[in-house]
Amino acid sequence: MSLTHLNVRGEAHMVDIADKSESQREAIASGHIAMRPETLALLVEGGLPKGDVLATARIAGIQAAKRTHELIPLCHALALSKVAIDFHLDEEASRVEVSATCRLNGRTGVEMEALTAVSVACLTLYDMCKAVDKGMQIGAIRLESKTGGKSGDYRREADESEAPIVTGEYRSGEVSVGMRADLPCVRVKCLAELRERLGVSDLDVPFDSLEEQNVAGLKAALKARDDRFARLEDARILCAVNQVMGGDSTPLTADDEVAFFPPVTGG
Amino acid sequence: MIRVQHEPFDPGREQRALIQGRSDIGAVVSFTGLVRDFNERPEVEALTLEHYPGMTESALTDIVKEAESRWPLQGVCVIHRVGRLTPGDPIVLVVVASAHRREAFEACDFIMDYLKTRAPFWKKEHTSSGHYWVAERASDQRDARRWEEP
Repeated sequence: MSLTHLNVRGEAHMVDIADKSESQREAIASGHIAMRPETLALLVEGGLPKGDVLATARIAGIQAAKRTHELIPLCHALALSKVAIDFHLDEEASRVEVSATCRLNGRTGVEMEALTAVSVACLTLYDMCKAVDKGMQIGAIRLESKTGGKSGDYRREADESEAPIVTGEYRSGEVSVGMRADLPCVRVKCLAELRERLGVSDLDVPFDSLEEQNVAGLKAALKARDDRFARLEDARILCAVNQVMGGDSTPLTADDEVAFFPPVTGG
Repeated sequence: MIRVQHEPFDPGREQRALIQGRSDIGAVVSFTGLVRDFNERPEVEALTLEHYPGMTESALTDIVKEAESRWPLQGVCVIHRVGRLTPGDPIVLVVVASAHRREAFEACDFIMDYLKTRAPFWKKEHTSSGHYWVAERASDQRDARRWEEP
């Protein structure tokens, strides 16, 4: 393995790519900018002084990808066939996640273009929001994947520390609840994204472990078993008792079925 | 008629079945939702639909009952698919029959708005850059609130 931008004398040089064969190249990069929840809320509502933040950052990212060769000394000027910038508003982590996809048919890779697009989109988000929040932090700008070219395909391995990337099929996790089978229980189900984040699908909670005989009491009992259930306090998380929508004050009796789930997204 | 199923459906056949042998129906409005290949990220390769068996059927029944209490309807058919779907696949069908068109248009619109905000379905999208659960949209909530009493 050697650094291709250094010649035999260790000097920087631009790689001659005239003899490389053309192939379809694609690179995806990602990053994020963390901000205060109030700033993110303003961004969602369109209440920031400089106007439409995401539309501006998207154009900035696309422009940046096209001008990468002007910024990075040894990069070639590329005729990109596609640049796409996407934003995901993560309210839980209070940040905007940015991803950029660049593509071309050519002789050199497009990862620098994708990384530059993400960087400039994040910088533009900072510029658009800085009037209300100077403490925003840009982070984790990195290549997610690249395909095409001689060096082969690359895909980032998922970090252990990250929230689990959900998979096609779910594995039902279980937590030990240390109960006797003959106790009257409330049957708890966690559905969809909540199930995958908690790693729990179904569990029984002994009815007499509830200090209050309602959904709030059940949440408290679950949280006492495992801190992960603190997530159930999130205002987004909905609840149904015996398959009818309920809330914290909905009363419970033994053998009730209580399901927790995120907002619905069918249709 | 309410069905939650893995199999594809044929909107034409469902509509014919709804109006067959009836001469009191003056209008049929049908909505078919399809899987798009772009959403939160570009290049959606597939999506998986999860639901809450039991509650799904009762939630859809309640939505249809609510529509029938608001408009004079002669027939309603709601079909929602679950499992793995690919772009272009039909995902949801709402067919509403009424004596007059206005009722059928409005009831069909209403049923879709309530289905999207009240029926326990969840979409997970699979793209070349990973899998993720689709986030709810504020615009869907706004659409559904249009039908609430002032």
